[in-house]
Amino acid sequence: MTVLDTPLKPNINCQNSFHVGAQTAWEMLREEDMLTRITTSCADLDNILGGGISCKEVTEIGGVPGIGKTQLGYVFAILGFCINLELLLLLRGNKNYRIQLAVNVQIPAHYGGLGGKAIYIDTEGSFMVERAMQIAEACVKDMLEYDGLLRKDSQARQLKMQPKELLGNIFYFRICSYTEQIAMINFLEKFVSEHKDVKVVIIDSITLHFRQDFDDMALRTRVLSGMALKLMKLAKTFSLAVVLLNQVTTKYSEGSFHLSLALGDSWSHACTNRVILYWNGNERCAYIDKSPSLPSASAPYSVTAKGIRSLASNSKRLKMMQALD
Amino acid sequence: MANTQRNFMVPIEDLLIHDLYVLVALAEQQSDSERLKQGITQVLSIIDGQHQPWLNGMDLLEDAQQSKHLLSTGCERIDFLLQGGLREGHLTELVGPSSSGKTQVCLQVASNVAKEYSGSVVFFDTGNSFSPKRIEQIVGQLSDHSDIESNKLIEQVMNNIVCHPVFDIFTLLDVLHQLESKLRSQGGSKVRLLIVDSISSLITPILGGSGAQDTDLLVLCGESAGHALMISAGFLLKELARRHNLSAVVTNHMVSGEGGTLKPALGESWKSMPHVRLHLFRDSKSSICNMSILRHPYINLQLIIEDGWLTFEIERKYKILSSRGPPMDTKSKLEYRLKHWQPVASVGNNYLEQYAN
Repeated sequence: MTVLDTPLKPNINCQNSFHVGAQTAWEMLREEDMLTRITTSCADLDNILGGGISCKEVTEIGGVPGIGKTQLGYVFAILGFCINLELLLLLRGNKNYRIQLAVNVQIPAHYGGLGGKAIYIDTEGSFMVERAMQIAEACVKDMLEYDGLLRKDSQARQLKMQPKELLGNIFYFRICSYTEQIAMINFLEKFVSEHKDVKVVIIDSITLHFRQDFDDMALRTRVLSGMALKLMKLAKTFSLAVVLLNQVTTKYSEGSFHLSLALGDSWSHACTNRVILYWNGNERCAYIDKSPSLPSASAPYSVTAKGIRSLASNSKRLKMMQALD
Repeated sequence: MANTQRNFMVPIEDLLIHDLYVLVALAEQQSDSERLKQGITQVLSIIDGQHQPWLNGMDLLEDAQQSKHLLSTGCERIDFLLQGGLREGHLTELVGPSSSGKTQVCLQVASNVAKEYSGSVVFFDTGNSFSPKRIEQIVGQLSDHSDIESNKLIEQVMNNIVCHPVFDIFTLLDVLHQLESKLRSQGGSKVRLLIVDSISSLITPILGGSGAQDTDLLVLCGESAGHALMISAGFLLKELARRHNLSAVVTNHMVSGEGGTLKPALGESWKSMPHVRLHLFRDSKSSICNMSILRHPYINLQLIIEDGWLTFEIERKYKILSSRGPPMDTKSKLEYRLKHWQPVASVGNNYLEQYAN
């Protein structure tokens, strides 16, 4: 599984390409087969996301506060070899989900991860290192277990990953105002070109600073759409997965109030995929709201001490099936 | 005009004011009339090369009938709504709220045109939403061949669709200019369809505003330059469509207007830019999308939207856009309508009659 490291390469074969970066659909299809996706560690979520979050796309995840703070855990690290990160759930309150995303991307390639680094941009100040450590430890334990299950005949491969190493591969930035946020996104391009092994950028609560500081709505729309274009360009040029977490707000339309994602209608076009997290009775569910290639579907998940996992009733059965393969 | 040896010059004023016949008559009076006439023809052809040639109505009609064909979209219902499909020479706009099916329609149309018509499709993607996997699914559904042949067909069709990622308006204008000069110079590969998905995300960062404090693009441009860029992009697309007989499709999103209703983005000046405006709307959490015509040069809106919306369903999983809804017997319904209505546009009427037969 190779991951494209180079930025867009000029297309020599296509007769129509008069612009660097232009590709035919057939070439893009062949390339897509080589692109790995980042797993969410939850099989159900991975299924609806077509394997996980895809690189080269911007995914927006939104939900009400507290939607998934409990960890579903890294139990699905084994099942996560489907290697698609469907994760892009917009978790507003699900810090664990995001933290897990940052750690998952570092799973080395032969375990189905990308073997890369992550950038975590925190605007709310809610990143908890202890929790990240907990998830990292669970992830390492799962990898060992997977190793044991699959390589029974040959000697167990030496696992060199320590939880501290996993944490060491997360670049963390703290943002305190919207100008800092804009500056950060402008700076990201330079940063990523210097650190080529960054594979995912997570922006926790891209909306926080834009909800309160702006009087001029037209200016806010312009700034936000400019930011969205820059993120798109970043994702495409460096083959990153960009994950944006969003908050919810109340909207009044057709005579009733309902919850919708913050930042208005024009922001809803700033992402390639959108996933909405919601409560379904007592279950947490994820729903694909917008995607160019995935059908609309929803899947339940739960948050456990080890991170995000599928609902407990399904996990054992799936694990057995996986072990038999 | 130093084209004489006898010190006869035609004043430029005369050249510009007088009719060709008057000039020729003037030249006849001179002794060196042949050379003078040649000279006059030369200068006039140089002048003509600088501007669009004058066309009369017959030329335009001939051009419309012979070179501006209709491109089928691959979905019967949409073709019926548009009386055949997308017309070459038109700029079509798909406007709708988020996740209403605009990108899906673009992908569908791109696949169908690449498959059915010789020529290529150029897709400008601003949101990384061009999905080759989806194109493969659609092409697979559109073709009926066996497995072995269909792979080759899919490869051939997908090689005709070119995707350009563009992330700012300047790149788009640049690439469109390059495309124009390329189309003008070589006869070679013909472009049938040009899709910009979505043009509103390129224009929103630069539109409006009061000056230099905004994003870096605006610092460069100033207040009204964003507006000028939007209009020039629209004109460029329309010119490409007209001159090179291709169809242009753009997508636009919606913003909230007065009273909480949604209206198309990009403002009042953009409203009159596209020839055809189609409004897409999806019921929340269902896969049925509705499309209606907001603006069209010659379709009588009343005639088509008789029962309200025409619906088409996006089957996202593994199928293409297919017609669904109450069974509609096209021919009988058309006959009924023709009997009971007097449609306004005669061009539309002629087309309908052909379609009914």
